[in-house]
Amino acid sequence: MITGYGPIQRTVRVWLPVLFFLFLALLPFYWMAITSIKPNSELYSMRSNPLLVHAPTLKHYIDLLGTTNFLLWTWNTMVVAVISTAISLALGIMLAYPLARINFPGAGLMAIAVASVYLVPQPLLFIPLADVINRLDLGNTLTAVILTYPTMLVPFCAWLLLGYFKTVPMELEEAARIDGASRFQTMRRIFLPLCTPGFISAGIFAFTLAQNEFLYALIFLTKTSVRTVPVGVISELIKGDVFYWGQLMAAALLGSVPVAIIYSFFVEHYVAGLTSGAVKG
Amino acid sequence: MSQSTRRDVLKIALAGAGAAALPWAARADGKTVTLLHETSFIQTFDEYMQKTLAPAYEKETGVKIVYELTSVGSLPTRISTIIETGTGADLTMIFLLYPFLFGDKLADVSDIAEEAGKAQGGWYDAAKEAGVVNGKWKAIPHSNIGQLMNWRTDWFAEVGVKTFPETWEELYEVGKKLKAKDHPFGFELGHGFGDNHGWLYPLLWSYGGHEVEADGKTVVIDSDETAKAIDFARKFFKDCMFDDVLGWTDVSNNKAWMAEQISCTNNAESILWFAKRNFPDIAKVTDQAQNPAGPKGRFHLLNCVSHSVFDFGPEQEEAKKFLRWLTAEKQAGGWYAAADSYYQPFLHAYDNAPMWQVEPRNIPYRDAMASAHLPGWPAPPGRQLAEAVSKYVVVDMFAKACTGTPTKDVIKAAEAQLKEIYKTA
Amino acid sequence: MAIHSEPLISVARPRRRAVTLAGWLDRATVFSWLMMAPPILFLLALVGYPLAYGVLLSLQDRIVAQPGVFVGLQNFAKDSQDPVFWRVVINTFVYTGVATVLKMVGGLGLALAMNQHFRFKNIIRALLLLPFIVPTVLSTVAFMWMLDPAFSVINRVLIQFGVPRPGPSWLGNPILAMVSIIAINTWRGLPFYGITLLAGLQTVPTELYEAATIDGASGWQRFRYVTLPLLQPIILIVTLFSVIFTFADFQLVYVLTHGGPQNATNLLATYAFDIGMGSGQLGLGASVALTMLPALALLIVAITLYLKKKS
Repeated sequence: MITGYGPIQRTVRVWLPVLFFLFLALLPFYWMAITSIKPNSELYSMRSNPLLVHAPTLKHYIDLLGTTNFLLWTWNTMVVAVISTAISLALGIMLAYPLARINFPGAGLMAIAVASVYLVPQPLLFIPLADVINRLDLGNTLTAVILTYPTMLVPFCAWLLLGYFKTVPMELEEAARIDGASRFQTMRRIFLPLCTPGFISAGIFAFTLAQNEFLYALIFLTKTSVRTVPVGVISELIKGDVFYWGQLMAAALLGSVPVAIIYSFFVEHYVAGLTSGAVKG
Repeated sequence: MSQSTRRDVLKIALAGAGAAALPWAARADGKTVTLLHETSFIQTFDEYMQKTLAPAYEKETGVKIVYELTSVGSLPTRISTIIETGTGADLTMIFLLYPFLFGDKLADVSDIAEEAGKAQGGWYDAAKEAGVVNGKWKAIPHSNIGQLMNWRTDWFAEVGVKTFPETWEELYEVGKKLKAKDHPFGFELGHGFGDNHGWLYPLLWSYGGHEVEADGKTVVIDSDETAKAIDFARKFFKDCMFDDVLGWTDVSNNKAWMAEQISCTNNAESILWFAKRNFPDIAKVTDQAQNPAGPKGRFHLLNCVSHSVFDFGPEQEEAKKFLRWLTAEKQAGGWYAAADSYYQPFLHAYDNAPMWQVEPRNIPYRDAMASAHLPGWPAPPGRQLAEAVSKYVVVDMFAKACTGTPTKDVIKAAEAQLKEIYKTA
Repeated sequence: MAIHSEPLISVARPRRRAVTLAGWLDRATVFSWLMMAPPILFLLALVGYPLAYGVLLSLQDRIVAQPGVFVGLQNFAKDSQDPVFWRVVINTFVYTGVATVLKMVGGLGLALAMNQHFRFKNIIRALLLLPFIVPTVLSTVAFMWMLDPAFSVINRVLIQFGVPRPGPSWLGNPILAMVSIIAINTWRGLPFYGITLLAGLQTVPTELYEAATIDGASGWQRFRYVTLPLLQPIILIVTLFSVIFTFADFQLVYVLTHGGPQNATNLLATYAFDIGMGSGQLGLGASVALTMLPALALLIVAITLYLKKKS
C-alpha cells in the first residue's frame, strides 16, 4: 500500500483515476435512471438534452410493474439463480475436494477434463440440449434452466474452489484423520466449515452468471409465466418493432438493484475468496 | 388501476411460481383443442378470441378451446419444439416460410381452403403462394400484415408534393429535396428482419431483378435489372438518407419517426398505431401509401399469417373442425374487425368490409395484397430460400453497394453465395 | 518407552480398514472417485452427451422437424466456402483479442488506482462492479439508445467540438460498429478484471516493495519487477475466463446490431444461431458453432504458453 501523500498528489494519484473509472462505469446507469423517468414526449425529442429531465414521471415504472409480468420474471430469476447456484456449489465442492486434497491416480487428468468442459460453448450445446429438454418434457419449465445452468457454473465453481481449497492448511484434517475420522467426516465437519469465504465468492459469481444468462432462457422459456428477467424484458417489452424504452430502462434498473444489494454485502468475501483461491491457485 | 392490478400481479406471481415448477399442465376432461398463437400487437384481437370466440365455440360444440399465447419472436421455436416432441398444441398460427419448412408435419386442409374460397369471394393469389405446399393447402391464410410507405404529409407538402409519388425515381427526387431541408428518408439497410426485406425485395422486383428462377435452381441474380435496382438504391441512400440506416434494425425507423428525424420510411402499421396513442400531433401528419413502382411494376412483401393443423396428435379432426368454424365469415369477420384492419384478410369478401373505414389510411394495405410476394420470389419456398433469407444475401448486397462497393462486385458476391446455397437444390 | 500416550497412525489400521465397507469407502481412490461421481455424471449427461450430439449434428444435413441425413464433412466444406463465415471468424478473433487487451490494461489501471487508502473505498468498489452485475441485455439496450446519433450524448459533445452533424454513426458504420461492441464489452468486463486484479495486488507483501525501494527501484521498476510477476498467475486465470466468455459472446450482438451492418459485427455465436434457429438448418448451425471449440482451445493454449513464458 502506498501512503503518505500531500493533498495534490492524493488528488492526482487517487481521485482522478478512481473518479475517471467511476464515471465511465456509472454513466450508462445514470442514463438508464434518467430515461426511466422521462415522459415519452421528452424521450423521443431530439432537441432535449439527453442527460436532463424536465417533467419526471413514474409512469414507466407503473406500467412496467402493473401491465407486465416483470415481478414474476424477477421471482423466476431469483429462484433459478439461487437453486442453480446451490446445485453448482455442491457439485463443485464434490469435484474440487478430492482434486485439491487427495492424491489419487487420475487426478491431474480429471483437473484438465473439468477445465476443458468450460471450453464447450453454449451456442453449440443449445441445439442438442433443446432436444434433451424436449424429450424430458421439461420445455417451458424453470426446471429446464435450473438443470442446464449448472453446466456452465459447475466448471467455474470447481476451478475457483480448487484453488481456494489448496490454500487451507492440512493440519486440522490430518489431526482428524489420525483421530479416526473417515474422509467424509473430515471433509464435512472440519474442512468445509473453514471455507465459507470461498463458497461465498464462488456462489456470488455463479449467481451473477445465472441471472445474466440469456441464450438457454431464450430457447427453453417461451411462455411468459416462466420467463426470467433478461428474456422477459427483451421479448415482451419489445413488441415487434416497438420498443417501450422507458419501461426497458426501468426494468434494467430494477433488474440490477437486488443483485447490487447482495453484492454490497458480500463483496468483502468475494474478494477474500478470490484472493486465496485465484492467486495461489 | 393500482389496487386490482397489484392483486393481479400477486396472483400471477403466486400462480406462476407454483405452475412454473410443474411440467406442462394436464388437459381437462372432455375434448380440448389447443390453438397456439403469437401475442398480437393489438390487444383487442387476442381478447376477442379469449372472450368471444372460444366461449362461443364451446357453447356450440362442447369442445374447449385453449388459446396459448407465446411472445413475439418465439413462435418458430415453439413450433419446432411441438413438432420435435409430437405434443403441445393441435393447431397453430404460422407464417413466412414455415408452412414449407414444416410441410410434412402439417395436415392437408385443402377442403377447408376451397370451401372458404368459394363462399367468400375467392382467395387473393398471394394467399395461395403462402399456403399451398406441393399442390396441397397446408395452411389456411388468415391475414397479411403488410408493409407500406409511411410519409409525412406536412413536409412533403413543403416541397410541393400532395400525393405520394408513383415511381421510385419520383420518390428519389422528393427525397433529395427533403434531405436538403433536414428531413431525410430512413430505410433500413441493417440486419433487422422485416423493414429491410420490406423495401429491398419490392425494389428488386420492381426493376425486374430475381434471385433464383421459379424452377428453384437457376441463380439469375446477375442481370441488368438487378444492377439497375442496385444503382438506384445507391443513389437513393447517398442523396436521401444518412449513414446510420446501415446499422438499423426493425425498431430504428419507429424511433426515428417519433423523434421526427425522418420524413419517409417503410413499415407495418405499428408507426401509425403508436403515434396515434403517444404522439397525436405526429399521427395527424402521417399517411401511408403503396410502394412506388419501378420499370417492371409495383410490388410488396408478403407477410402472411396463417393457421395450420398439426399432422399428429389425438385431436386432429376436432382441430380441423374448429379451423373450419373459425374461417367462416361470421367468426373471421368479427375477429378481423377486433383489430382495426391491422390484419388484412385474404378473401375478397372483405374487400369492402366496414372495418376499412375505421382507419382509411390503412386501405393501401388491402390494395397492396394484389402485388405481394414472399421473400425470394419467384423461387419456390423451401430450405434454400430460408437459408438465403436468414443469411441476409439480398440485404447485404444492397447495403454493400450503398457504402461504395461497385455494383458488379456486390452482384458477383451475392451470386456466389446463392450458388453455394442452391447447390443442393 | 511411552506405550499408548499418543494415537499412532498405526501400521495395523489400514489393513483392517480395508476389510470393512467403511474402510473401503475411505480409501483415497475410492473416496475420490465416488465423491466426484455425481458431478461427473451430471456433466457427462448435460455437457458430454449434448457435445457428442452436437458433433453428430454437424455431420448431418438436418432440417428442423425432419430426420437427419449423414453427410460427413459437407457442412464444414460449405462453411469454408462461405465468405460470411470467414468474416465472422475474423470478427470473433478481433473482438476477443482487442477487448481482452483493453480489459486487461484497463483492469490493471483500475486495480492500481484502487489499491490505495481512501474514504468510501468500499462503496466505490461495489459501485464499480455494477456494469458486470447488470444483465447484459439490459445494459445493451441502454447503449442502443446512447449510440443513436440523434440521441447520443457522445455525439452531442463531439459536435460541440466541431465534428460535423450528425456525428459518427456508431452502429451504421462497419468499423465503428465493431468499435462499439468492443467498447461495450470492455465496459462490462473491465470491473471484473479490475476487482480481481485488485485482490491479487492486495496479497503482494509490502516488504517486497520496501526492499525494492531500498535498492533504488523507481515506481515503474517496482511495478515491472515486483508487482507484475507476482500477479502473473491471477492475470492468467482472469484472462482465460475472459477470453472464453468473450469468444462465445452472444447477447451483446444479438440485441445491439444482430450482426450488422453487413456482418461487420457478426460473431460465431450469433451466426450459428441465425442459421440454426432462423432457417432451421440445425446441422449447418452446429457446424459453425463447433468451429468455436478448436479455435478456443488454440487461444487458450497460446495464452497460457505466452504468459507462462513471461514469468
